[in-house]
Amino acid sequence: MRILLALDDSTRSMDEALRLAHDRGAELSALFVLDTGWSVYTGHDFLLGSHARGTFLDYARDDELAQEKATAAELQNRAQAAGVDCQLKTAAAGRVPEAILAELKTGGYDLLVMSHPFRRGLEVMRDAATQVLKGADCDVLLVKR
Amino acid sequence: MEEKQGVAKVVSIIPGLAVMVLTLYVLRIFVEPWMTDAVVFGQKGWFVKVLHLNYILLAIITGMLYRNVLFGGKIPEWAEEGFRTTRLFIKSGVIMLGSLYTIQSLAKVGGIAIGLIMTFVFGTILFVMWFGKRVGMERSMIGVMGAAAGVCGVSACIATSPAVRAKPADVALAIATVLGFGIMTMFISPFIGHALQLTDYQFGAWVGTGILNSGQVLATCLAYNPTIAPGTAVAYGEIWNVVRVISIPFVVFFITMWYWRAEAEAECITLGGIIKDKFPVFVIGFFGMTALSSLGMLGAEGSSTLKLMREVMSWIFGLGLIGQGAYIDIREIKAAGGKPLQVGLAAGVLKYVIALIVIMLFVSKEASF
Amino acid sequence: MAQSDPKKCGKMTVFRSDRHEDVAAMVFVTLVVVTVLVYMAYIVPTITLKAPSDGKIVSVAAVADTEVKKGDLLYTIEVKEKKYKDGKLEEKLVVKEIHAKTNGKVLSVSAKEGDEVKKDKQALLVLDHEKGTLP
Repeated sequence: MRILLALDDSTRSMDEALRLAHDRGAELSALFVLDTGWSVYTGHDFLLGSHARGTFLDYARDDELAQEKATAAELQNRAQAAGVDCQLKTAAAGRVPEAILAELKTGGYDLLVMSHPFRRGLEVMRDAATQVLKGADCDVLLVKR
Repeated sequence: MEEKQGVAKVVSIIPGLAVMVLTLYVLRIFVEPWMTDAVVFGQKGWFVKVLHLNYILLAIITGMLYRNVLFGGKIPEWAEEGFRTTRLFIKSGVIMLGSLYTIQSLAKVGGIAIGLIMTFVFGTILFVMWFGKRVGMERSMIGVMGAAAGVCGVSACIATSPAVRAKPADVALAIATVLGFGIMTMFISPFIGHALQLTDYQFGAWVGTGILNSGQVLATCLAYNPTIAPGTAVAYGEIWNVVRVISIPFVVFFITMWYWRAEAEAECITLGGIIKDKFPVFVIGFFGMTALSSLGMLGAEGSSTLKLMREVMSWIFGLGLIGQGAYIDIREIKAAGGKPLQVGLAAGVLKYVIALIVIMLFVSKEASF
Repeated sequence: MAQSDPKKCGKMTVFRSDRHEDVAAMVFVTLVVVTVLVYMAYIVPTITLKAPSDGKIVSVAAVADTEVKKGDLLYTIEVKEKKYKDGKLEEKLVVKEIHAKTNGKVLSVSAKEGDEVKKDKQALLVLDHEKGTLP
């Protein structure tokens, strides 16, 4: 059995995925998606000098990378404590659910674990779960925050 | 989302741009004339007289329909590069608006604009600082919302947040709040303006002061009166807008100083550095156009040359506004919430109403130029 | 980090793509303005004058097939002007004089005294302007 954990800042979903992987002896992969949609999200704003826009976009990217690092460290700690092997993958996408679905398609997973509401990048504004459910062809476990 | 270069980039712009051009063409050539003559509820031109619809509002609404209905919430990849040109068009339109003024007229109205705007900008920032503290908002978000509600909405959010280390996810929610409020005011302001019989001058001054997001000031003015000429709503509103845009670096500086006061990092922040980093260069183009028109190099007032120039301007704005509409995602705006929404709404409504009262009491019906 | 490193694959460079937009807008405006000016000064064959606002033609001074100089009176039109006086809207009928913006030649005159005209609807005069000037 192969499990994919879609990462955001929820530690409950990490624990839940690790527990499932442990109980079922499954192979666990975790996917962290960097949101590259900031340029589009702020795209209508014409008043800024482009330099100010660029500075913000750099700032948002640095924040994304910092979150990736922090989340990876958090997951590693918890995986070690739970005694489960976990492979961490990173992807970048304009919309986070798209990257999750792409990974599901190529990875041959049996189960997707993600938190709900899913808070990764700009998905704080959107309903990631609905989007993922629409496209996913495996079981999906939504973990409440 | 690979970055394209050169010819490939230009080619990738074509599909989206073609959609925008075609849409505007249909709206201006077929839909608008039809609306003027159509009889609804027994009244000729009901759309125009009662709903105050014109090609500007239609452009924005059509753009919104594309994004939210036709494309199902996301601009498709084939159209994305094209729709991205919207910023270029609106910026160009704003630069060309500089030709509506002469240096003398800018000096006359500019004084009032600077006075009103500075009062409202810093008044709103202080209100947000006080109210944000009361509802227990984070200091960095108070800074971001202060800038957003005080000056230019989304632009100010974006310009301030790196300086005050606000979390981008929170900034996204703040942007949604500001945008939602801006869109609401964009659609209701023309009705209020017509109901209160505001003159173009008063309307421009009001929305220029009262609307949170400067992106919508321009659209609202054009929606109120789509004519682009000296003395129309857009001509006055834009002076207000330009003053606001220029004040962004100063506001960012003020808020950054407030945020970092008593901390070591504040030492490396200088006003000069912030101006260099945040100054919107296109404003120079705007004043360049004003200089050209003051020198009479763009044709005399009332000439066919200026008429053609303004016609071109209106097409450029129309294109830009379709794109603007297409960047509005209703679902994302609905997701706005929490403290940014509380503070944003409170500050926004307060500013909007007080600005209206001030303008009705203290600003004359007729401008001095 | 098995799948892809976004820092290396270039996907994240989307972030940096619009630094020179302000300059691009200024270049675009320059192109548009120059095109309009050159077109009006050198390329446009004739200029058709239409009424600047709704009103009534009071007199027509222009005569077909004659030369006009910059500032010459072409026609006069009576329009309603809205003015605010002490906060009240007053509508006044005023007669506006329309002058030639540049030197040129009147090709045809279709405006007649007493005509009711609509803004930007009927053609009143057709002019040929001196090349290199802005009509």
